Amino acid sequence: DQVLHIVPETLQQVQHLQHLCSTSLLDLWKPLLPEDIWAGHDLHIRVPAPLVQEVKDSLDQHMISYKVLIPDVQELVDQSMPRETSSHRQIPEGYNYTKYNSMEEIYNWMAQIQKSNSELVTQHYLGKTIENRTMYYLQISQPSSNAKKIIWMDCGIHAREWISPAFCQWFVKEILQNYKSDPKIQKFLQNLDLYILPVLNIDGYIYSWEKARLWRKNRSPHMNGTCYGTDLNRNFNSSWGSVGVSYNCSSEIFCGSGPESEPETRAVVQLIEKKKSDILCYLTIHSYGQYILTPYGSTTKPPNNNEELMHVAQEAAAALMGKYGTSYKVGSTSLILYSNSGSSRDWAHMIGIPFSYTFELRDTGTHGFLLPPEQIQPTCEETM
Amino acid sequence: IPGVGLKFYLQFTTVNYRSGEDAGSCFATVLYPKKRSPPTVNIKCTYTRDWKQIQEEDKRFYQKLTHQSKPIIANDIPDSHGNIEHALLPVWGLAVAGSSYIMWEKSTENLGYFLAQVKSARQQIRNSKSVEFEFIVLLHEIPTQKIIRCHMHLSWSFGHPPKVRYSCTSDNDQPEDGSGMELGSDAGISHEREENF
Repeated sequence: DQVLHIVPETLQQVQHLQHLCSTSLLDLWKPLLPEDIWAGHDLHIRVPAPLVQEVKDSLDQHMISYKVLIPDVQELVDQSMPRETSSHRQIPEGYNYTKYNSMEEIYNWMAQIQKSNSELVTQHYLGKTIENRTMYYLQISQPSSNAKKIIWMDCGIHAREWISPAFCQWFVKEILQNYKSDPKIQKFLQNLDLYILPVLNIDGYIYSWEKARLWRKNRSPHMNGTCYGTDLNRNFNSSWGSVGVSYNCSSEIFCGSGPESEPETRAVVQLIEKKKSDILCYLTIHSYGQYILTPYGSTTKPPNNNEELMHVAQEAAAALMGKYGTSYKVGSTSLILYSNSGSSRDWAHMIGIPFSYTFELRDTGTHGFLLPPEQIQPTCEETM
Repeated sequence: IPGVGLKFYLQFTTVNYRSGEDAGSCFATVLYPKKRSPPTVNIKCTYTRDWKQIQEEDKRFYQKLTHQSKPIIANDIPDSHGNIEHALLPVWGLAVAGSSYIMWEKSTENLGYFLAQVKSARQQIRNSKSVEFEFIVLLHEIPTQKIIRCHMHLSWSFGHPPKVRYSCTSDNDQPEDGSGMELGSDAGISHEREENF
């Protein structure tokens, strides 16, 4: 939108301007009413963006000269809004959750988060990546004498899906920031522990920042270092290697040399196996597509608790849509997406975790993996 | 359809690529011949916006492009972080429109595509009679998850659908060329749609 400054000179010009204002419903800033437009007096009108060219053309046609007082109204509005100060002691000062953060930033953030929220958060060692980087997860746990069930969430299993780790960071921030003031969160944490793995495929994530933005797999070397990467989401021991995979390293869906061949996979498996009797829900976050996917990918045979799985997912999708109108499709991977085997979601369900879901976040292909940072906040808010 | 292929009947709504606003709705039939591309498409759409307005916007865009003193040259649209410079949004739109022909020609009932990124856009100023661009676009192939790299030459004369020539490669495959979809009226396609951003 623009604001134009005009000083009409003749009665004809005044009449034309009055006509323009009322027919195009332009926003008169000065004077307030069309009838108060006078020759020789200042006129300020705000013209909505889609009409700017048309209005200017009309002014030109009638030989009415104008100046652009404000070239971009939105910009001014944004600038005049007070910056959201992270006045919360608990959240690292100045950490930006509405941009994509590098792995180095994420490592620092995890350490900081634990330090400033030590009553609730502990950082745990999970394992090492193939390039020997350390994998950490955050445990959010309210101190209590009773044993609690666990909800596990991992992000960033596929390197190029940057909105996914962004969501994990956002999620942690939301929980911690609102814990004191939100009774729902307190109730949640009374009976549940949250285990969050912000970046599963650390090597891949870094590679997508430094070398190839659209990289997907991890960075394990094959064929004497002439080919790299296993698709970690085809590497789990759930009908491994049976469908929707490639046995060729050069493929993006290469399932690895065997189930759990990758250290990243093994690190996750070890921890989840150990705690599986307490894990209620397994969530793995991807992009894009806007889906909530239930098991299985390797077969169309429904899981034993399919009705309940679907019901919960549908409630989630409805709640999500309630926020910004974003629509998510819900269903089993093999039915609504495509067949694949060796996924972490399938594996989690097969070892007995009752609620296991893959989230595919925004969008539906317009930007795909390159989701603009302005969409980080709304995506995370609605998914929350 | 036994012996021929799979036919789908579709009804869907459309939104403006940039604003997300409702843009209209369409009825279409898509026939995938057995294991081959491209699919045969018949489509009819209604538009929420006034046709004349759309044409006028197109005309202005066209004039702007054909009267550039310097050719438009840009890389990475969107960039790694998902940003697109405001001034480059129409160039992105042009690439989207052109890529849609490539994606259409390559689609089968088992292979689908999205435009992942415009790697580069280079305008070629020849004459003021047509808009010419050389693009490199990256297509995301489902379900293989491959990223396909295509060189695309787009040529647009106002009042006609854009013409696209392309050549795609993906790591192991042989390069495949095509001259996309110069849409004739016997295909029964409302191609005016493609011109409008």
